[in-house]
Amino acid sequence: MPTITIDGQAIEAPNGAMLLPVALENGIHIPHYCWHPKLSIDGSCRMCQVEVEGSPKLVIACNMPIRDGMVVRTQTPAVQNARRGVMELLLVNHPLDCPICDKAGECVLQDYSYAYGSRQTRTQEPRRKLEKRKDIGPRMILDQERCILCRRCVRFCREITKTNELGVFNMGEHSVLDIMEGAPLANDYSINTADICPVGALESKDFHHKLRVWFLTKTSSICPSCSNGCNVTVHHYRDRVWRMMPRRNDAVNETWMCDHGRLTYQFVNSPERLRQPLLRRNGELETCDWEDAIAATARQLHHTVRTNGAAAIGAIASPHLTNEENFRFAQVLRTLSVANVDVAVVMGAADNFLVKAEKAANARGARDMGLRPATGRLGLSEILEAAANGTIRVLYVCGSDVCQLADRQLLEQALANLECLIVQDIARSPLAERAHIVLPSLTFAEKTGTFTNHAGRVQQVHQAVNPPEGQPSDGEIFSRLLNYLSEARSTFEPAAVLKEIGEAVPAYAGITFARVGPMGWAIGDGQGATAGASV
Amino acid sequence: MATRAVTVSRPRPHGMQFALGARAILRGVWIAQRHFLRNLWGFIRRKPTVFTVQFPEERLTQPNAFRGMPVLVQMDNGKERCVACGLCEWACPTDCITIYPAETADEIERYPRIFDIDMSRCMYCGLCEEACPEEAIVMSQNVEIAAFSRAGTLWHKQDLLVPVDQLTDTRLYHVRRSYDR
Repeated sequence: MPTITIDGQAIEAPNGAMLLPVALENGIHIPHYCWHPKLSIDGSCRMCQVEVEGSPKLVIACNMPIRDGMVVRTQTPAVQNARRGVMELLLVNHPLDCPICDKAGECVLQDYSYAYGSRQTRTQEPRRKLEKRKDIGPRMILDQERCILCRRCVRFCREITKTNELGVFNMGEHSVLDIMEGAPLANDYSINTADICPVGALESKDFHHKLRVWFLTKTSSICPSCSNGCNVTVHHYRDRVWRMMPRRNDAVNETWMCDHGRLTYQFVNSPERLRQPLLRRNGELETCDWEDAIAATARQLHHTVRTNGAAAIGAIASPHLTNEENFRFAQVLRTLSVANVDVAVVMGAADNFLVKAEKAANARGARDMGLRPATGRLGLSEILEAAANGTIRVLYVCGSDVCQLADRQLLEQALANLECLIVQDIARSPLAERAHIVLPSLTFAEKTGTFTNHAGRVQQVHQAVNPPEGQPSDGEIFSRLLNYLSEARSTFEPAAVLKEIGEAVPAYAGITFARVGPMGWAIGDGQGATAGASV
Repeated sequence: MATRAVTVSRPRPHGMQFALGARAILRGVWIAQRHFLRNLWGFIRRKPTVFTVQFPEERLTQPNAFRGMPVLVQMDNGKERCVACGLCEWACPTDCITIYPAETADEIERYPRIFDIDMSRCMYCGLCEEACPEEAIVMSQNVEIAAFSRAGTLWHKQDLLVPVDQLTDTRLYHVRRSYDR
């Protein structure tokens, strides 16, 4: 491997690598705008110029292949002067929109202006006037004045989505970023252009004028919208989720995520969220204590098993709950000897990039935890049929996905014939309105645990926002149910439950949060654990 | 850790310093006497307002540098100058400012949908004024925050707006001079 020297530091790098990524990986920051790790090299911003010994002029680091014995200097006066020059030219026309720009605070131009620019402007000419707040698509707006023409978004639309909506029109000083006439930026990954935009030229309508970014706290998590399990960062403030942004994981989503997934966070803040358990008394759903609701659930389940047998209980598990929670649910069902259990997973459109057909983050994990019909036992539609013909008297439903899956008539008949319907869901739904006991559930942003994606990669979600005080997580509900129904004195500590999973489920042998880490942990197709390929 | 004794030598007061101290004491007595006599003279003449300002009927005019509660500058079109950039909210050491931005069709795209200052927490430090890039929040000369409830000390946007004409020659003049704008 060639060895190069950057600022006196000897670095070994693979053959054919470019100078800029090598420097960045070794902790030497070379400022850059147009270079992006997942896009082709453009070389248009000229910000990454460095001095290479033997080269008559400064060279751009992003397009400089390394060679053995290369000596690079990134802090010489010539380099600093070049950076200051680039900054000055970029700022000649950049509007002073920082107070109203959503990017302020995470803007690369702003950061570099402080780090490498000069404090004074020398131009007196008016800045150029271009179109602001241009509606370029259902989820994006464009501010042409702010654009510094790095062409990251253009390359994204050309290389990643292959839809080519964006382009730089005209030449030289008249260059302007725009969309083709009549072809809005409407692809399923359009908001990624706002992420990679180094300035505030491209902005997502969803986050437009919502909050200053410096107030946001960032918590790493997993997107809940499909089984791909894109790694995301949840941005939250005042116990509210304000946006989700992709987090780099080359084994799952590189640095991208789909628009649909990015906007799913909204259900976390929904005013329709259930916060108090409900019990049906005299035909009306009334709020009640947590203890009452859980005791009533346990009593109902226990009573049904004793009078009608375990076959009279059906359970529909949720693919939105974490592995730990579903493991506890499986324990509850095992204690009652209930075997009629299935996961309700809504299927939808998939593409050949990130979006997967299973519209839930943890369908595979739920099945791995044992929440699938055992051989000879009833699956989802059979459970509903059995409920409709009266064999199943009590149905425990987690989530309301079943409403979208089942035949409406069958579901109606099943609900009408039930003796008791227990619903555990995050918001009021038609299903919850029909329930006898309603237990509020928590979303991915309010709890810690693991999800297993479609490829068997176990990844961790972290609690971002606090649920209202006193509201237990789904895992705590199951743990308390288990305590009512058995001699167990279980509590719900995600780390401890994950350890139990490692002991009970062969494919998850030896799993801990530390091993899952930020990048996930791949299960080897039921053959026991293999180390996750982290980046 | 071993202790280390440090001997501090304190010089004994000089004779001259005693004299200066005595002078200061006499000066203090003189000021108190003067105020007392002047007040007494006013009392004898049945004009008790020589010193006392009869608040709230009378109010002192404060200098421009005086920092009272922060207010929002209202432009001539009746709207606030604030663009809800959030820098004052960030700069505020007592977290008494709450801003929720929103979009308008005006040229300045952004305005504060909600701009609340909890005056019971504000400590009149003026950091919001210093942080503001738009000269939209300035310290006023008002210090009267008394209210009948805690909710009454929460000032909303409409309570905070002050027309720009009233501020141009006073606090804005001072701000422009002192912050080199």
